Amino acid sequence: MIDDLAAVARLSGVSKRLGGRAVLDRLDLTIRAGEVTALLGPNGAGKTTSVALLTGRLAPDAGTAQLFGLDPRRPAARRRLGVMLQSAGLPDVLTIRELVTLHAGYYPDPRPIDEVLALAGIADLADRRCGALSGGQARRVQYALAICGRADLLVLDEPTAAMDRGSARTLWGTVRALADDGAAVLLTSHDLAEADALADRVLVMDAGRIVADDTPAALRARAGGSVLRCRTTLIPAAAALLPAVRDAEMEGADLRIVSADAATTVRTLLDADPALTALRIADATLEDAIATLLAPVQERIAA
Amino acid sequence: MTALALPHGVWRREALTEVKRSLRLPQFLLPTVLTPAGFYGLFTLALPHDPAPGFAAATLAGYGVFAATGPALFGFGAGVAVEREQGLIELKRVSPMPAGAYVAAKLTAAVAMTALALVLIDALSIVAGVRLPLATWALLTLLHLASAVPFALIGFGMGMRMSAKGAVAVANALFLGCSVLGGLWIPSRLLPGWMQSIGAWTPSYHLGQLARLIVGADTIGSPWMHAAAILAMTVAGAAWAWTGWRRSPA
Repeated sequence: MIDDLAAVARLSGVSKRLGGRAVLDRLDLTIRAGEVTALLGPNGAGKTTSVALLTGRLAPDAGTAQLFGLDPRRPAARRRLGVMLQSAGLPDVLTIRELVTLHAGYYPDPRPIDEVLALAGIADLADRRCGALSGGQARRVQYALAICGRADLLVLDEPTAAMDRGSARTLWGTVRALADDGAAVLLTSHDLAEADALADRVLVMDAGRIVADDTPAALRARAGGSVLRCRTTLIPAAAALLPAVRDAEMEGADLRIVSADAATTVRTLLDADPALTALRIADATLEDAIATLLAPVQERIAA
Repeated sequence: MTALALPHGVWRREALTEVKRSLRLPQFLLPTVLTPAGFYGLFTLALPHDPAPGFAAATLAGYGVFAATGPALFGFGAGVAVEREQGLIELKRVSPMPAGAYVAAKLTAAVAMTALALVLIDALSIVAGVRLPLATWALLTLLHLASAVPFALIGFGMGMRMSAKGAVAVANALFLGCSVLGGLWIPSRLLPGWMQSIGAWTPSYHLGQLARLIVGADTIGSPWMHAAAILAMTVAGAAWAWTGWRRSPA
């Protein structure tokens, strides 16, 4: 019930077919205030479609989409929503200041324009026309449009794609601050380091369903703790039988093993193949965790 | 309730911004504003016959409608298709801006560009000796400005469905095709029968006939029939535009 009070957006039992293909399959998803939620998953998992439903660009075939308790397709529901889309463009002959001012005017209680420009790091570009911006600068303008209305829900679709690392870190800082002030943030990203750094909660999607919903730390722990890489004659199926091994697969010429306890695995691994070389051990990253989560599903599809 | 809760001035700001954008796009502005005036000047003033005021007035009726079709077809048809491909419509669609404000803003810009073109044509017609009562000028101008509406709706429906390249090609074909077949350049009664028959299916024909009626030139058929045809085409255009907006997710 506490969940329900904090919920700002929700998909309930949503199914959606696009181009004859079932993209979402009775999906349930809740976005809560004060939380950065990362939506991750392989291409075609249904992330973009979920975002399109939550932002009112698509209607569900079955189930309901809600934004602040309203149908997201109603402009009134979107008055508390700020969106940064990957696919969206900018009107090239307007200046940044003109565009941000126009957008801020859509909201009942907008942020002052100069504050928006400063937060997005584009104050020095304000009088530049949008058509004359680099990719990273255009992304920062998109970000300014998302935050100009003091939205209670920010949807950021690949926010730092085309940005240099410095700009990306600045943006993460402001997103974090907005979430700490109580905004809900929904983030999609291919950059799992970004999701790990920013998200309070990770939703992993695959084939139109949520396959995991947890904190990044819990997901990393679930993946097993360590990733071992080595050159060996052992095949993955044999390595998978060793103690503490969660997952084993070839990665180029390396055998990649996810282990819950690296020491136990290594001891038996060296016995199993005395000729083994180039052994490396690393902490499991969020990427490893997600690869492990998705592996059984991928195999099921292949079978 | 929704309309009341809207921040003050959203529609007005959207419209002003759109007019500003149109004025900053000379490659769009010049052809749509200058072409009708150029043609009118050529056929009414420059060609051998003395610029007879009656002829110039009848021609003015048609060219004013022609002037309205350009900004409407290119601004909505080609412009909307380009904006859709660039992802600008996506940007608007996820914002709290009501869809109506976008359409109204585009229409305002199209009518503003039409007004610019009309100023040029009307000035040329005065040079050609056209003298009309003030009420007639007012009525004629009103009809010319309103002519943008059915074409804007047709263009909007195109823009939401076609690629930018396709929409530009179709807008060009309609811009010239409707004007020739609808009797805006050469009066319909001088056109071959088959051209007249096809022309009757264009909004240009009916708008042109109504405009000729206003300036006192000879017309074909009943004005009520023309008004009814325009109304029907506008309603059909609105349906085409609305379904286009609804269907296109991107």
